[in-house]
Amino acid sequence: MNTTTLTRALMQPISSYLRYCLSALLLFSALCALPALAQEGVDFATQSVRIAQGSEPPNLNSIKSTDQTSIFYIEHVMEGLLRKNARNELVGGVAERWEMEGTTARFWLRQNAVWSDGVPVTAHDFVFAWRQVVNPEVAAEYASIMYPVKNAEAINQGKLPLEALGVTALDDYTLEVELETPTGYFLSLTSFMIYYPVRQDFYEAQNGRYFADVRNMIFNGPFTITSWVHGASLRMEKNPTYWDADSVTLNVIDTPYITNDEQAVFNLFKDGMLALVNNLAAEQLRGALDNRMRIYAHPDGSVFYVEFNHRDDRVTRNLNLRKAMQAVYDSEELVYKAIGIAGYIPGRSLIPVYMNGVQDKFRVEYPEQPASLDIEKAREYLELAKQELGLDEIPPLSILCDDTNGAILQAQYFQSLFKRTLGIDIKVDAQTFKQRLDKSGNGNFDLILAGWGPDYEDPLTFGDLFASWNVNNKGRYNSPVYDAYVRTVQGTSDQQVRMDALGRMQQHIIDEAVILPNFERVSNGVRDPRLQGVVFSQTGASTTFTYAHVTE
Amino acid sequence: MSKQSFQLSAADFAPAPPATHAERIVRPSLSYWQDAWLRLKKNRRALSSLYLVIALLLFTLLGPWFWTQDYTLQDLDMISQGPSWGSAALVVEDPGAWEGVRGDALPLPQGQELGATTQLTVEGAATTQYVRLYWNAVPGAQHYLIYRNDHAPDSGQDLGLPLGETLRPEELSFADRLQLRPQTYWYTVIASDGLTEAASGTTLAVTTERAITTTQARERGLEATVGASVQLPAHPFGTDYLGRDVLARIMEGARVSLFIGIVAPLLFIAIGIVYGGICGYFGGTLDIVLMRIADFVIALPFLLFMILFRIGFGIGPGESGIFPMLLALVLLSWPSSARLVRGQILQIRGEAYVQAARMLGARSLYLIFRHLVPNVMGPILVTLTFAIPMAIFTEAFLSFIGMGVSPPTPSWGAMSNEGIRTMLSSPHELLFPAFFISLTVLAFNLLGDGLRDALDSRLRSRE
Repeated sequence: MNTTTLTRALMQPISSYLRYCLSALLLFSALCALPALAQEGVDFATQSVRIAQGSEPPNLNSIKSTDQTSIFYIEHVMEGLLRKNARNELVGGVAERWEMEGTTARFWLRQNAVWSDGVPVTAHDFVFAWRQVVNPEVAAEYASIMYPVKNAEAINQGKLPLEALGVTALDDYTLEVELETPTGYFLSLTSFMIYYPVRQDFYEAQNGRYFADVRNMIFNGPFTITSWVHGASLRMEKNPTYWDADSVTLNVIDTPYITNDEQAVFNLFKDGMLALVNNLAAEQLRGALDNRMRIYAHPDGSVFYVEFNHRDDRVTRNLNLRKAMQAVYDSEELVYKAIGIAGYIPGRSLIPVYMNGVQDKFRVEYPEQPASLDIEKAREYLELAKQELGLDEIPPLSILCDDTNGAILQAQYFQSLFKRTLGIDIKVDAQTFKQRLDKSGNGNFDLILAGWGPDYEDPLTFGDLFASWNVNNKGRYNSPVYDAYVRTVQGTSDQQVRMDALGRMQQHIIDEAVILPNFERVSNGVRDPRLQGVVFSQTGASTTFTYAHVTE
Repeated sequence: MSKQSFQLSAADFAPAPPATHAERIVRPSLSYWQDAWLRLKKNRRALSSLYLVIALLLFTLLGPWFWTQDYTLQDLDMISQGPSWGSAALVVEDPGAWEGVRGDALPLPQGQELGATTQLTVEGAATTQYVRLYWNAVPGAQHYLIYRNDHAPDSGQDLGLPLGETLRPEELSFADRLQLRPQTYWYTVIASDGLTEAASGTTLAVTTERAITTTQARERGLEATVGASVQLPAHPFGTDYLGRDVLARIMEGARVSLFIGIVAPLLFIAIGIVYGGICGYFGGTLDIVLMRIADFVIALPFLLFMILFRIGFGIGPGESGIFPMLLALVLLSWPSSARLVRGQILQIRGEAYVQAARMLGARSLYLIFRHLVPNVMGPILVTLTFAIPMAIFTEAFLSFIGMGVSPPTPSWGAMSNEGIRTMLSSPHELLFPAFFISLTVLAFNLLGDGLRDALDSRLRSRE
């Protein structure tokens, strides 16, 4: 019996009148369901906002995570000793008060800070988490940010046991931290993800799946993750057990759309389905202009650059080859003509313009000396490079980038630039975000379109990127001179000495062509006028909804 | 009548010459192919699509000889421009040469609020290379925000693009270089004290003129003196998102699209003829075994194999995936044509004339090539013309999802993919490749239709 006869056989007992009723009912219910599906970007009554993300968070484990998407969620559901308030200033988080004297910092934790299952957050949770971060077996990529804490580096290199870490729980609610050297920016570090507490019993019960799924999560921040359909959606709801729940107005931060299709995201906003969209690409920006929307710009803190692979088996280890590429590259042309997004600042240095120096902005006090644009010189460098490498021809180089339209456009710009000026063939290797991180970690590239967002408010957050021991130094740049600068900056709290070293470090990067700076990113965004109080910052999560509310 | 007339000579008894004209065929005999061609010629739709196919092939093969623009050349001043026949441009100095304007930071008088910027002025000529703005210092301003709009702002909200901000109070100028086009812009400069912006700014309308810098002029071999007027190349199909000529890219892209579209069907139909021919002619167990293998191949998923071949051949990212695509198409598409040929052969094998030939001692090879294959050519040709648009579509689809060519090589599918994101602002980037895909597919389909009618022996002309 085929399907049609089967249906007919089933339908026979039902009278034709009933059948009409049934189909009418079906149609009616389908029509009713439609408005319910189309939810608004912001909702006053329920105080909920809906946003979109380019990818799902690759890793929500605060000990091991590294990327912006994950940090966004982690900062909403977790809280460290200190946190940032609605004006982006450091205030007490889990810690009620604190003292810093020389190399010792002491934090007194508040008694009413609890985990989402009601268990209090104690000093032991911090000790456990910090030891995990520097644990060589865990191999957290951000471990170097813990290095200001005494013995952290030695433990991370396996030279000392975990217990030697300079952090002690004097009692359940008092935490004492010993620092390696006096570190001026240590307090701002404690608001960063890897300094967040992790509860040992819960962590160990998850068998390595900590924060891999909703049932493996426990929260102490203003929000909780209530559902996570991998690759499709993620929903955060207000955490009723959060100690400062009274200052949180929003009930729901929903991420119903995970897509890297920028146009689709913008269309959703235009239709009122999203609360805000940041990082508009040129095309969507034009759409916003045509619709006469107000455009908000704020520097998101990230610096983007072409990173070379300095490993011994790559031709890009050769200084003259890098200098040849540097001498034909004009970041203004890339930014103003090819990328064409308003507000982007053409890259000239690794240290972005908003970073503070001793008295004034760092870049005002220590202006960089750019490499000159000179195609004749570039060809000389190239000839030298070929001789040194013993090659007749530079083999095709691969440029690793994200599979977003913007990244592929930039990669094609470099492809054409180096082919036209130096005759070097470039292959564009566009990968998904996770894959890109993976390949860059394995050193599987010649050039990479990379970027870095600051983790704390000091130029060193960029400056230590190319230290030989930094795991985020994907190209494995290794220079004793550079390492010495980093040591100097880390070793003292004298701002003048530190900034002098950072100034020389900045110039070293240009002279040695360690990277080619592309741009400092500005996020051009649109947002629903009813959404108020969203905080944008350059360190940590770029967008914070904790203090936001929806007006009528 | 005279007697003489009844005299007979020997010559009268010579055998009559054979009556060669008794059953004369008045019109020339038409072979199957000639007849098909005649009928195809009468089908205007099919004939014009045949000309279209020929024109497309010429366009692809000969086009680059006449249209010599480099399909990889990026002209970043001409990003996403609509179709144009070249335009004149002014030669101006390089942008790096401007120092900017500096002034003194003025303190904010007590009890006053931040005022609007005054004396917003353009330095020199406003061109598509740069617009240099400067203004008077506003008391109390720490820095200034510069906005640019395509239309006159009608409210304080509608300022346009935030171009950037100055860093220090002394900086009183800003050079805009952001993708300028020859048109009128409305610039607004607003003072800010670091925390709050002034309530209003000044707006200035600026009309820009197309220009190139002396360096660019020198690179292109044009007259490189400031103030000279030069002619820029024409882009009849416009340019794409990196300023590359769309016409040149369509021609280059056609090579990939038509290569896959024609070579793949030719190859898999050739395999199909041999395979199906063997099955149909010999029949029996061999036929059963071979056809079960064909059934198995039909069940294999194309996309998966395409990806497997990519990996198998070590085609890394950034390398062209055309070869694995061709291989996957050929290896997975032959069974349908093999089935068709087998069916036809089975049918013809039973026909009386084949039986007769066999009785007369014709050998297998002779039978196959003299009687069987020519008689299945009709359906095969039709399949071929329908397989071509299918293969073109497959290529377009795979390039569209990024499995085909790698940048900067274009193909029509990849170009459509790139064009779709600027569909609203510069539709020509999508429309031209999409039009060519549609045109090619339509032409081959109509030609296939016409061929099917022309080759159908039941419709053979009887006049």
